[in-house]
Amino acid sequence: MTAAATAVSPDARALWRGGRGPLLGVVLVLLAGLALAVLRSGDGGALRHDSPTPEGALALTTLLAEEGVTTTPVGTAARAGRELGPETTLLVAFPNAVPPSRLTDLRREAARAGARLVLVSPGEEAVSRVAPGVALAGEAELRDREPGCEDPTARRAGSATLGGRVLDLSAADDAAACYGEGPLATVAVLGATDGPDGTRAETVLLGSPEFLTNDALADDGNAALATGLLGSRADLLWYVPDGSEPPPEQDEQSLFDLAGDNWRWAAGQLAIAVLLAAVWRMRRLGPAVPERLPVRIRAAETTEGRARLYHRAGARGRAADALRESARAHLAPLVGVRSGADVAELVRAVGDRTGRPAAEVTALLAGPEPTDDPALIALADDLDALRNQVAQHPGTTAAPTAVSPEHPPAAPGRPPAPPKKDTP
Amino acid sequence: MALTGRAALLAALGAVVAWLVPGWQGIALVTMPVVLLVLLDLALAAPVRPLRLERSGATSVRQGEEAHVGLTVANPSGRPLRAEVRDAWPPSSWAPGTSYEASRHALTVPSGERRRLTTVLAPTRRGERRAEVVAVRSHGPLGFAARQGRHRVPWSVRVLPPFPARKHLPAKLARLRELDGRTSVLIRGEGTEFDSLRPYVAGDDVRSIDWRATARQSEVTIRTWRPERDRHLLLVLDTGRTAAGRVGDIPRLDASMDAALLLTALASRAGDRVDLLAHDRTTRASVRGHSGRDVLPAVTRALTPLEPRLVETDPRSLVAAALAAAPRRSLVVLFTSLDSSVLEDGLLPVLPRLVQRHNVVVASVADPGVEEMAAGRGTVTAVYGAAAAARHSAERHRAAELLRRLGAVVVDAAPDRLPPALADAYLSLKAAGKL
Repeated sequence: MTAAATAVSPDARALWRGGRGPLLGVVLVLLAGLALAVLRSGDGGALRHDSPTPEGALALTTLLAEEGVTTTPVGTAARAGRELGPETTLLVAFPNAVPPSRLTDLRREAARAGARLVLVSPGEEAVSRVAPGVALAGEAELRDREPGCEDPTARRAGSATLGGRVLDLSAADDAAACYGEGPLATVAVLGATDGPDGTRAETVLLGSPEFLTNDALADDGNAALATGLLGSRADLLWYVPDGSEPPPEQDEQSLFDLAGDNWRWAAGQLAIAVLLAAVWRMRRLGPAVPERLPVRIRAAETTEGRARLYHRAGARGRAADALRESARAHLAPLVGVRSGADVAELVRAVGDRTGRPAAEVTALLAGPEPTDDPALIALADDLDALRNQVAQHPGTTAAPTAVSPEHPPAAPGRPPAPPKKDTP
Repeated sequence: MALTGRAALLAALGAVVAWLVPGWQGIALVTMPVVLLVLLDLALAAPVRPLRLERSGATSVRQGEEAHVGLTVANPSGRPLRAEVRDAWPPSSWAPGTSYEASRHALTVPSGERRRLTTVLAPTRRGERRAEVVAVRSHGPLGFAARQGRHRVPWSVRVLPPFPARKHLPAKLARLRELDGRTSVLIRGEGTEFDSLRPYVAGDDVRSIDWRATARQSEVTIRTWRPERDRHLLLVLDTGRTAAGRVGDIPRLDASMDAALLLTALASRAGDRVDLLAHDRTTRASVRGHSGRDVLPAVTRALTPLEPRLVETDPRSLVAAALAAAPRRSLVVLFTSLDSSVLEDGLLPVLPRLVQRHNVVVASVADPGVEEMAAGRGTVTAVYGAAAAARHSAERHRAAELLRRLGAVVVDAAPDRLPPALADAYLSLKAAGKL
């Protein structure tokens, strides 16, 4: 039964034994996450009207209630628009989370109804929709600031904790730039103009929500500023998008909307089929097998590297030397000069063989460094031509005379081919 | 577990049902049958785990040839096995691009029976190939799902060096026979041994005529000589980093091996003993004490798993190992590189110890690519390349010259020319009686 032991894939028991550890870990992580979520569930109440956390605004709404202002939470822009009236302040807590087109609608509604619109820390897009003349001018640090403007609410409140987004009001008419420097403000009170029916539509932009929170409401004049800005009307609409609203409909409808229910369910079934196909295709028959590759380096790599170094350094002298040396080594045995002999001797022998003047041969075989790259290329070609010429003029009677008698052909080392065979 | 295309196809066709019955009911109406069919198929498929697998067949193959490795699959379960089997070996066990088809088999084994399938390996690299794993996908009768599992059935196939230089062997053996006195052309040289007397035949060397014997007999008699036998050859392969250099398509080491194998074949026929040593910092392979017909297989086996290492060879220990392996005067053939830097720093200072006691042949693989570079003309890049190649060749020549001056014979040739050149060097040494 030894052959039966060849199976290496785990059976159900081995899978359970190997998997229960990680499984336990996953379960623990999930439980811990659940526990944390339960424990910290109240923590998400940033700028909620009913949240007692440091970032919440329960203290503010309580203060407002004592002053007779009723706070109504709204979750959708449609409802906010419906409830707007002349005695209404609409606080948009997260204007950047509201689709811009919807902000435009809200502003139109507010202007029509003569309501007051308050935006907390609006972004570029929100500012351009609600207050076209206002621009964003960077960020400012959060600290106690003096009002520095003519707005009565701000003057009454005095210094407050402000900062965050800086609004540039230099291009806006009828605007009060508060808690900033010059036209740069962190609280902007805009367009306190009379509406068509005698009510006033005001827009207020706040650079940061800090002074509204439970945490900072008690500091400085924060409470006075907050109640002043939000409690000037009898009703406060506290708009925090609850996500139940579908995104604004554009002009076009998607294919999916146009298709009927049947098609949608059929597409769902097709998606399941695609999933099954993916499972079918991704299952591999056995593992990928690794290959232990041997080390293999191209042997000519060092030579090529040296060539590139010559090229980059423009080492024409060295390159020419190498080519000439190679040519001399090649020519010496052809003309019957022992290798390693004097260059002059070689030049004389080559000159005799080819009939070229000695000066020319000297310039070729031991001349100066080429002045530029074309000269180097030409040198290489000329050396080739010389080699060919010598090779095509095999040993004539002139050759032995070129060998000086004190250098007999049988030199030590590698014997060059001495042209001794046929003396006529 | 594995699904098949049928399950996905059925689910896709189910889209019609989902269209007719919109809602979760429609989805369930399609998905439940698919799931049921898959589960049923899984239950009916033959189990993979209890299969019994055994291997048989080839254990060694020459690179470039095919090895047939058998795999016997016995199905002890009560259900017939309809399986797809993958016999997984390393990728270099097959020519590139053919490994998918070559490793997969369709197999049907009725309950309680056994079947044999054959995997044909055509390894592309030298060395040892080990069977990795056998993966079996056992399909159910409906073809919706399959059980899958692996078995590990160890087997290894030695891939021997290709030895393309074999083609030179007949010619070199013919030359050896000329030396051997078995042909009428006899060579007289110093150090050859007196063999016998026989009548003169036209074409024999007149210097071989034994006048004394001729005087005793009525015809002209000559002495025949035969070359020395029972000499000792030590092949030393340097497996250091210079052996890893790729010349053409193969590393220097493989080219050296080719030449070493030809020399081994030749020398064992010539009646000489051949030992082998592969060394870089330590001894990687060693063959000693084989003679006659055993030598070539032993050397081939020793060379098979050898790979170059990326270490600098330690010439001191290399020479020490060579001296230890060759106690009496031998022909030491050193396969190394003529790269001047390596040679001058390492080998030259220690080589005299070797040359003193032995005849040394240094065999080196030259790169034809460098010669091509040296012929480059026309562009700036090509001419600089030619200059660098000329410098490289000059350095090699100088290194070879230094070695010759020490008394070593240097054989420097391109990979395809090295084996015959080395064989010629050996034969001429033998003819000259210098072994």
